[in-house]
Amino acid sequence: MTDALTLLWPPFLVALCLIGIHTYFGIQVLARNVIFVDLALAQIAALGTTVAFMLGHSMQGGATYLYSLAFTLLAAFLLAFTRTWSKRISQEALIGVIYVVAAAAAILLIDRAPQGAEHLKQILTGNILTTGTTELAAIVPLYLAIGALHWLLWSRLAPAKGGTWLWEFMFYATFGVVVTSSVALAGVLLVFSFLIMPAAVGVLFAESLPRQLAIGWTAGSLASAAGLIASYVADLPTGAAMVCTFGAMLALAGLIYPFVQGNAAHAMARAVLVGRWGLALVLAGSAALLMAAPRADQPLLDAVEYVFPSVRGIYLTRSEADIYRDAHAYAERYRREAEELNELETRSRAEGQALDDLLVRRISAFIKSYSEMRRGEEFVKREVRSRARERIRWIAGGGVLLIALAMMPGLLPLCRRLAGSGTREPLAPPLPSRERSDSERSAAERRNPGEGV
Amino acid sequence: MLFRTARAAPLPTLRGCVIAMSLLLAPPSLAQERLRIVTTTTDLRSLAEAVGGDRVEVTSLVPPNIDAEEYQAKPQDVVRLKDARVVVRVGLDFDLWFDRLLTQATLTQSNIRGLRRGEAGHVDGSLAIAVLDQRGASVGPSDGHAHASGNPHYWLDPKNAEIVTGNILDTLARIDPANGPYYEAQRLAFLARLEARLADWDVKLAPVQGKPMIAYHNSWAYLARRFRLNFIGFVEPKPGVPPSPAHLAQLIKTMRERDVRVVVRAPHEPEKNAAFVAAKAGAAVVLLAGSVGALPAAQDYLSLFDANVGALVSAQMR
Repeated sequence: MTDALTLLWPPFLVALCLIGIHTYFGIQVLARNVIFVDLALAQIAALGTTVAFMLGHSMQGGATYLYSLAFTLLAAFLLAFTRTWSKRISQEALIGVIYVVAAAAAILLIDRAPQGAEHLKQILTGNILTTGTTELAAIVPLYLAIGALHWLLWSRLAPAKGGTWLWEFMFYATFGVVVTSSVALAGVLLVFSFLIMPAAVGVLFAESLPRQLAIGWTAGSLASAAGLIASYVADLPTGAAMVCTFGAMLALAGLIYPFVQGNAAHAMARAVLVGRWGLALVLAGSAALLMAAPRADQPLLDAVEYVFPSVRGIYLTRSEADIYRDAHAYAERYRREAEELNELETRSRAEGQALDDLLVRRISAFIKSYSEMRRGEEFVKREVRSRARERIRWIAGGGVLLIALAMMPGLLPLCRRLAGSGTREPLAPPLPSRERSDSERSAAERRNPGEGV
Repeated sequence: MLFRTARAAPLPTLRGCVIAMSLLLAPPSLAQERLRIVTTTTDLRSLAEAVGGDRVEVTSLVPPNIDAEEYQAKPQDVVRLKDARVVVRVGLDFDLWFDRLLTQATLTQSNIRGLRRGEAGHVDGSLAIAVLDQRGASVGPSDGHAHASGNPHYWLDPKNAEIVTGNILDTLARIDPANGPYYEAQRLAFLARLEARLADWDVKLAPVQGKPMIAYHNSWAYLARRFRLNFIGFVEPKPGVPPSPAHLAQLIKTMRERDVRVVVRAPHEPEKNAAFVAAKAGAAVVLLAGSVGALPAAQDYLSLFDANVGALVSAQMR
């Protein structure tokens, strides 16, 4: 546990700093509708670093930093210029052009200096896990200074002002400086997540900048903590895990948004409706797949069997279950034997008696045959299962299809009504739920128009 | 020309004989041009040069310090294959892109023939190598190199040079039989030099042998086996996937417990992760050349090991 804490708290602090400044810039970027500007600026900064590297400067040197800064400022100049350049072409298109040209130019340059290729990749991938207090000491003063600058010049830098060319340049230049340093720490994917997702959550739930910031910072910090913990517990690459938790955070915010802003009851009804349709469609699709192609992959059934292996027992006969179990046991045994041989060979490299080439070759051959045999057992498992599924395709598929139909909203009441009219029952069926929700929605819209959806 | 020289010279018969003899002995190819060989990596170039001596001209396609597994062939590579009689590749799925390049070159160029897999001029250096880390695809790369056909870095075992040069000699002698004895003598001389150095390296590495070490990535299996180096863990066990915090925490713990002093990294591997782990556990990062030319000191196959042995010894002595 202490191991985890000592390893995870420095990157968490770095993540907090990055979220602090990027949420603010993210709100600005969303308002200006230049979503991918950070990718373009990061790529331009990487191009500057590459040029410096080509000219013989060291990768971490001051000259290299100045080069990347100069390139970023050049890009900021271009971006500020293109905002009012043409009404016909969106600025996002030009941002894309800057991105691909900078990336391609870096590749062309690096082609002449092979040892730089990996460096270029590192500039853009970053690894937040290995950041620490030295990085904090570098970014905290920088971000504070830029934050203070924006606070002082807020009246000029606010996106709505549509300010002059100079203020636009100011915005992109400061943003470029931030992105240049943050991408080197956390990588392009994570910085993009820091920039857009907390800001999107903030903008979703609040109108004023301070409240947007507060919500974005909270959401971002929670998502970062969740991502770091998930990455430790589930043994996952940190950056990718964090990006996914940020995505989950945004999805969650999108889910609860209708409940917070607007009619909660209506949102609930809608969620239930969507859920029922979704589940019904998945079930119907799986049933159709099972009936049409029982030997193909069955995603739903496979997933259920993976979580609850006992499900398999329901449709396998006794002898099939025996064959399946045997094959599984043998496959596991072959895997273990191969692992043991591999272990033996690996250990012998430095410990005990060294193995000669002949023995190494024999071990290799054994491992190869074990893996072939294991593949054979896996084939047996698959074949037994496929045959059983072929046998039950109509019964199980039909049953699941019925469940799916029953789940479809409005279908059961419809059937009941049809059946009712057939048996001369009193013509007073309960109002179908879907119609009721429709009428409720129109009533709600009448009450507060414009807020319904 | 020959006869006029012979007549005009003060010692006509002797000099004439020498010139005539040399012209007779030397095959026509030497007088005109050297046999062209193209290899994928610099290590194979060095080995091909060791066999071919001054009667071959060897070009390698992948520059040093580029991951040969991820190399993207360029249009100029087709030009480099022009008039090549022999190609040498690593094999073991290491340079798969080479097959596509050879097919493309054969289809489009009239002067590129007989170089594809299975044809006379194609040398797969991995033939008859005792492959390490051999786990079939179904066993799964739980750690180590994710290759279904084994760890491909076999040139890092100097003993394997015997097999690789043997494979090269086989093809050279068949393509250019007149020079067969020359190639054979060259190869034997090279192996004798290698044998002498091998004893030297063994002595130098004695203090490092068995000492626990960490590597960035499992590319040193063959080096480890030959010199009894003890790699107990890897910073990035799955190539291309950044290490998880749980893995790094466990690695750092192991390093502290077993007093690991050395973290090995190749120049093209990311320096940050290796430096991070080394700093946490109080170890030093050592740059080893994974192939010829990866470090300035590793200029050919023999100096590759000289450089690596020197780096390992000085790091462990620290």
